[in-house]
Amino acid sequence: MDEQACPRCKTTKYRNPSLKLMVNVCGHALCDSCVDLLFLKGSGSCPDCGVPLRRSNFRVQIFEDPFVEKEMDIRRRVMRDYNLKEEDFANLQDYNNYLEEVERIVYNLTNNIEIVSTNQSIDRFKRENKDLIAKNRIRSGREEIILEELLEEEKLLVESRKRAIAHEEMLEKKKKMRSKEALIDELMFSEQSAASIVETFKKRKLEEQEELERHREPSPPPLVAATQFSTGIKFSQRIPKDGFLPVPKADDTPLFKYEPLVLTRNGPSAPTWEEVTEKKYINHVRESSVGERAGGYLPQLACLRALEEAFDGLRTVAVARWTGQVA
Amino acid sequence: MFSTSTQKKYWLFADESELLKARSEANAKFVASHGPKMTEEERNEILDANEEKALLKFYELQLRDFCRRFEPPMPRSVAGTAFHYFKRFYLIHSVMDYHPKEILVTCVYLATKVDEFNVSIDQFVRNVKGNQTKAMDIILNNELLLMQVLNYNLTIHNPFRPIEGLLIDIKTRGTMVDPERLRPGIEDFLDKAFLTSAPLLVAPSQLALAAVLHSVSKIGENLDNYVTKTLLGDSSSEALASLVEAVRKVRSMIKSMESSPKEVIRVLEKRLEKCRNQENNPDSEIYKKRQFEALHDEDEKYGSDFPSLIMSGDLKLGEGIFEINKSMTSP
Repeated sequence: MDEQACPRCKTTKYRNPSLKLMVNVCGHALCDSCVDLLFLKGSGSCPDCGVPLRRSNFRVQIFEDPFVEKEMDIRRRVMRDYNLKEEDFANLQDYNNYLEEVERIVYNLTNNIEIVSTNQSIDRFKRENKDLIAKNRIRSGREEIILEELLEEEKLLVESRKRAIAHEEMLEKKKKMRSKEALIDELMFSEQSAASIVETFKKRKLEEQEELERHREPSPPPLVAATQFSTGIKFSQRIPKDGFLPVPKADDTPLFKYEPLVLTRNGPSAPTWEEVTEKKYINHVRESSVGERAGGYLPQLACLRALEEAFDGLRTVAVARWTGQVA
Repeated sequence: MFSTSTQKKYWLFADESELLKARSEANAKFVASHGPKMTEEERNEILDANEEKALLKFYELQLRDFCRRFEPPMPRSVAGTAFHYFKRFYLIHSVMDYHPKEILVTCVYLATKVDEFNVSIDQFVRNVKGNQTKAMDIILNNELLLMQVLNYNLTIHNPFRPIEGLLIDIKTRGTMVDPERLRPGIEDFLDKAFLTSAPLLVAPSQLALAAVLHSVSKIGENLDNYVTKTLLGDSSSEALASLVEAVRKVRSMIKSMESSPKEVIRVLEKRLEKCRNQENNPDSEIYKKRQFEALHDEDEKYGSDFPSLIMSGDLKLGEGIFEINKSMTSP
């Protein structure tokens, strides 16, 4: 909601909050209906400052403050020429100086200070760094292209999915209509009782549903944007020169291999799980109660544990010497 | 498993001479550090290693009775664990440094926790005779000390489960008739064994085997066949020899066990009261003063920052702070 009204048709703003303000190079705003009116003739002038304007100069206002809009505009223009990056400078100090220079220029132009000298410095800069500017333009152009391509792919995917869904829905609807019509026809013309006809139709419907679920056709694969020639050569600069390639999966890392735990036991070995039942060790252990078995506790566990502990360490020979452990 | 446990690695000694070395060292350390500070009279009362041993034996008996009379009934493994802690503690410290009465209850309390026989501190001190609040303070204050002295090796392997395992094995593979007859003999043997230093010298399974063999010989039968053939059938003769040696050691230790008469003990206790390290005596003036100072020092040192320092963990609350309030307000 704008607190401001369009400077021409002031009343219209309040009544129609969806009306957007368009702003142009001089910084003054006009609602789009006024823009249409004024520029029907093709060219006109700003109602506030009288600067001659063309229709194409109008941009939808993003910021409420027209001053900010103006600065944004100027900045965009300046940055088209002042597009050097940090890598183009010898050290951080120079880069910072460059950035400050840019800010100074934008500030001057926005506040109409020393316009002439500022423009001169712009021209001088353009001449001196023509190559760098051109190179950077190409570089940023490339990045933009990549982004655009990604966006397009996504859009295509979304669209194809939508289409598939819509298609399916349509098929469903048609089918329903047909079955309904068939039912009505039957009721009208056949000689069987109404009840039996309805029965048969119901059955048929169920059968069809089951069949559909069983033979669900794979939906047609979404159309993939063509990114390479049939020979495999990619025909777009997908990878920027200083961007990153996807990291290849290192296949040399070994997969996890299960190695069973090796227990050092200083004594004779205890029987295994199977032996405990087979060789009747288990007969000498109390049977586990229902509650215990619910928790997964089997008598074999207790039996094995006791036996393991009994045999473990039978061959131990203590060798520790008192070394003056400090508390 | 016992073979991979700290009990085997650090707390199983080659023979009694090592233990003797440890105990005399602890005694000497105490004398060296506290002797100069004591008066002439106190110095006369200092106990030597043998007297300390006698005292410890007496207190181990107390420990056993305490565990036996415990309400709710305490499983044998808890008592076994407590015995281990007690023995280990007095390898490192002298009897005069920390009174066995206090360490005794602390050991049992820690053992109940470690062995998952959960008893709240209130329930626990109900089993203690005498001033129960004081007992509570003593236990809680000494708990961390005990753990530290044990080097936080708290898992103890007791011989009770190996006994069960051996009995199962005898019933399955042995030729004896009704091995259940062995149980009373086994219990008796283990009771005596825990009063010796045997748990610090042999593995629990070896101790269990010794118990079984002793009980077997008591009822006049012979299981040597079983031991040599079935039990150790697959291993070498030296393994057999070392096992036999271990079993023999235990049995001889138990036979040679002797307890001193009560009067001797009473005299020793009196002497202990005189020569003990007063800093660790909760009844002494020095101790109380120290706690008091600790409380007030902290207040003065940190002032209003105290709570925030505690919260950030920079400053740990001394247990003395809670202690002091209780002992000040207890009747």
